[in-house]
Amino acid sequence: MEMLQQSWDIIVTAILRGGLYALMAVGLSLVFGVMNIANFSHGEFYMIGSYFAFFGITEFKFGPLPSIIFAGLAAFAIGMIVERGVFNPLRQKSKKGWLMNTFLLTLGVSIIMQNGVRMIWGSRYRGVTQFWPGRTKIFTSMEIANDRLVAFIIAMITITLLWYFLTYTRTGRAIRAVSQDETGASLMGIDLNWIHTLTFALSCMLAAIAGASLLSINPAFPTMGVNPLYKSWFVLILVGMGNIWGSIYGGLIVGLLETISIYRFGAGWQDVISLIIIILILLVKPSGLFAKKGVKSVLE
Amino acid sequence: MLEIRQLDVSYGYLQVIWGVSLKINEGEVVAILGTNGAGKTTLLKTVMGLLTASQGTITFLGEEITNLPTFKLIKRGLSFVSEERNLFPAMTVFENLILGAYTVRDKKKINDALEYVFTLFPRLAERKNQLAGTMSGGERQMLAIARGLMHGPRMLILDEPSMGLSPMNVEAVFETITRLRSGQTTIVIVEQNVNTTLRIADRAYVLEQGRIVLEGTSAELRSNDQVREMYLGIC
Ligand SMILES: Nc1ncnc2c1ncn2[C@@H]1O[C@H](COP(=O)(O)OP(=O)(O)OP(=O)(O)O)[C@@H](O)[C@H]1O
Ligand SMILES: [Mg+2]
Repeated sequence: MEMLQQSWDIIVTAILRGGLYALMAVGLSLVFGVMNIANFSHGEFYMIGSYFAFFGITEFKFGPLPSIIFAGLAAFAIGMIVERGVFNPLRQKSKKGWLMNTFLLTLGVSIIMQNGVRMIWGSRYRGVTQFWPGRTKIFTSMEIANDRLVAFIIAMITITLLWYFLTYTRTGRAIRAVSQDETGASLMGIDLNWIHTLTFALSCMLAAIAGASLLSINPAFPTMGVNPLYKSWFVLILVGMGNIWGSIYGGLIVGLLETISIYRFGAGWQDVISLIIIILILLVKPSGLFAKKGVKSVLE
Repeated sequence: MLEIRQLDVSYGYLQVIWGVSLKINEGEVVAILGTNGAGKTTLLKTVMGLLTASQGTITFLGEEITNLPTFKLIKRGLSFVSEERNLFPAMTVFENLILGAYTVRDKKKINDALEYVFTLFPRLAERKNQLAGTMSGGERQMLAIARGLMHGPRMLILDEPSMGLSPMNVEAVFETITRLRSGQTTIVIVEQNVNTTLRIADRAYVLEQGRIVLEGTSAELRSNDQVREMYLGIC
């Protein structure tokens, strides 16, 4: 009975953790699938999301939910500026060595954002104690902070909305079209520049929402994005690049691997264990768990 | 309607199109003929803004469109069915068609266009929910043409629409072109099927190594010895 209870606790923890990894990974996946950019500045948008939520609460006196939405919108705007200022000019000039060049650019963006934030806001922690007070027991022996539950729910709602947007709206369809065939998309009258800017901004918004929803659990500081960046890359490598549905399962799998290794081996080993298992999986399925041969798409 | 003046196009240092000029009038069906590698696809892609012209001008409906981005040309009423088809393989036939009407905001117009292409190609209606990537070569061809018609173009440019089709489907494609022409759509067509093409086209240009070497009405070209020898296999 106790065994059973403990595994149940692990599963619940893993799902709560994995939901936010999924939210991060979905954005990363979107940018890779549509723009062919391996984004290593994704964690920094998680970081500024966290800061914006903090200022939303403390400076602007917004409530928790408006602060999170504010953080998402602000990151969306910054994402647009970064895409127009950095990736778009490069795309106009040359597509040679695109993947490598943009990879280096994203590293640059990451360093600039980390240090920019340190310069403006310093490196001390900025956090809030609580968004939604209280703890809840859901079929578990332990009590779970409401903030964690709500963060998970926000992640799931955000992913569902994104899915709806990509599947059923005109612009969402255009984003998928660009991910599948750029020439075909421009022959439909789709403005590739606009779709690229929008996609990047959306991805930044998703990362910021993740960072913002977790503000009461992880306070904001300049280098806080590194860990979620690694986690979302684990997910992408595991499920195959550029696939949104896969990212959701992947987020949950990575969450589960981590939680189990923390329970079994203690904190500090989770990345080692997750990576070993990911490597083992890749030995069997080199292109990732959910990758389909020959079909490149952000949503299937 | 479309006028090309003294067009030069190069891939890097390799010039492929040399001083091409041509003119297409409203309501016409004009064929562009030429052997493999003559530069037909290059010419069409340059008109569509997929390649850049190094010299010369292109005007459409009286306005210069040289080197405009592709998406703007679609809004102006051009449509291009490329040799590669450029379908969206992970989307259904229906979604591909809806994307064809991306520039159309009026729901009713989109539905009318859908109905229209489904009567042209009933096969597509049957396969509405199939992924484009899993369609046969011939079905893909039909889908590409149908998708190119969804925004009600004023001029449709087809690059080898009958490539890889069985005789019956080739027939269907040419029949569609005849129907479109009576519907006032101007058509530019590149084809290897010279005999059939000259039968439906009003005029034709012959491209050789990037230069226009012959032009005339279909009847003229059919009786031209050079054309008969090179493309029709009649001596
Ligand atoms: N991307 C490219 N880079 C360099 N050269 C190219 C490129 N695309 C085409 N060419 C060259 O340009 C010339 C014209 O090619 P194009 O595709 O326009 O011919 P085409 O008339 O359409 O031939 P086909 O009937 O085989 O389709 C060819 O010699 C071809 O090798
Ligand atoms: Mg060609």
